[in-house]
Amino acid sequence: MIVGAVALIVVNIIILSVNSSRYSSYESGRSTIFFIAPFQKTVTKSVQFLKNIWGHYFFLVSVARENDNLKKAINRAIDKNNKYREVEISNFRLRNLLNFRKTMTNQVLVAEVIGQDPSPWFKTIIIDKGKSDGVEKGLPVVVPEGIAGQVIDISYNYSKVLLIIDRNSAVDALVQRTRDRGLIKGESDGKCLSRYVLRKHDVKIGDIVVSSGLDGVFPKGLRVGYVTEIVKSNSGIFQEVTVMPYVDFEKLEEVLVVLDSPKHNFVSEQ
Amino acid sequence: MTYCFYICVCLCLVIFQTTIIPHIPLFNNFYDLLIPFISYLGLFRPIRESILFILVLGFLMDNLSGGPLGLYVTTYFWLFIVVKSVIKYVHVNNILLLFIVAAGVLMENIIFIASISMLGPDSQFLAITVRTVIFQILWAGCTGFFFITIFNHIHKKLESWFVVY
Repeated sequence: MIVGAVALIVVNIIILSVNSSRYSSYESGRSTIFFIAPFQKTVTKSVQFLKNIWGHYFFLVSVARENDNLKKAINRAIDKNNKYREVEISNFRLRNLLNFRKTMTNQVLVAEVIGQDPSPWFKTIIIDKGKSDGVEKGLPVVVPEGIAGQVIDISYNYSKVLLIIDRNSAVDALVQRTRDRGLIKGESDGKCLSRYVLRKHDVKIGDIVVSSGLDGVFPKGLRVGYVTEIVKSNSGIFQEVTVMPYVDFEKLEEVLVVLDSPKHNFVSEQ
Repeated sequence: MTYCFYICVCLCLVIFQTTIIPHIPLFNNFYDLLIPFISYLGLFRPIRESILFILVLGFLMDNLSGGPLGLYVTTYFWLFIVVKSVIKYVHVNNILLLFIVAAGVLMENIIFIASISMLGPDSQFLAITVRTVIFQILWAGCTGFFFITIFNHIHKKLESWFVVY
């Protein structure tokens, strides 16, 4: 029995060693593959299909969650970016205001625009500085670009400013080049009209108009606007000069209230 | 409760009108948002309840605006009276009332223009006036009735809640 078993092992080893030295295919192997492979294929495909379903649909629950989180993160980043951009823009604006403030010898107060006139027919703004900050009725309001308006009403913490483009506003001004005087009045289309400019005066389109300081409100030499149109009618002693203000009143966000107006002289940046 | 509702609505409308609308280019020529509210009071609320509120509201707007004092008080008061007179002859559900806000806007503009015209001639005034008024009336015609409906709906809801609780 033992001898038989040993002999069987030896024979087995010999056969294996002979077979391992060269690969040979048999008909039975081919047949087996022929019959089994389609099943294998089907099962493998099915497994892959199920795997795909799991991977692309069920597993997507977590992907969707991840997507939601990423979207939130992107929104937060966009929001943050927007805030930084806003801070950058306001930083630039405030630096501009600060530089302008340094050029003025007057005592000025920075105020923020918090509201506009409810009616399109009148041009006023509400600023966040009032009596408690030293603002008084009649004080001039300026921005780096030029004159903005005049305080017409005050409360303890807020004030109302009449813009120079309002039809009730009037600023005594002169043409910088020729020193010809006129009265700047607001017009309905956001422009101003320089009235009472004598016909004989040589005003040209593009001339800069500055405040004369003679109205006792605005400091002398502040820019008001530039001449865009001149109408000399056949009769009359005056010519009508249209002035486009330098200030963009649609975009006013911060303004300077001149607290000690006409007492000191204005030093121009130029 | 009614006055609280009035105050809240008006505060929201005034703030929206003076802070948000000026920054939206599409609404450059938008009409006074308090006109639908005054029209609503005229259409659905009794005189005794509304008249004092309207005068106070007009005074508030006069103080916010750069116009002559009393302009908004006058406008709102007469608008309220006109609406009250109209509903004596026209039923509240009449289709003509769709245009009540547009008519109110026109009335306000006529009063304002008359007041501004007293300041003297202005070369561009006519063109700008026509454009502004037309846009405002169009806006009012398209949206005014919705505002009135919303005010009425919210007020009724609030009243029913307060009756329940």
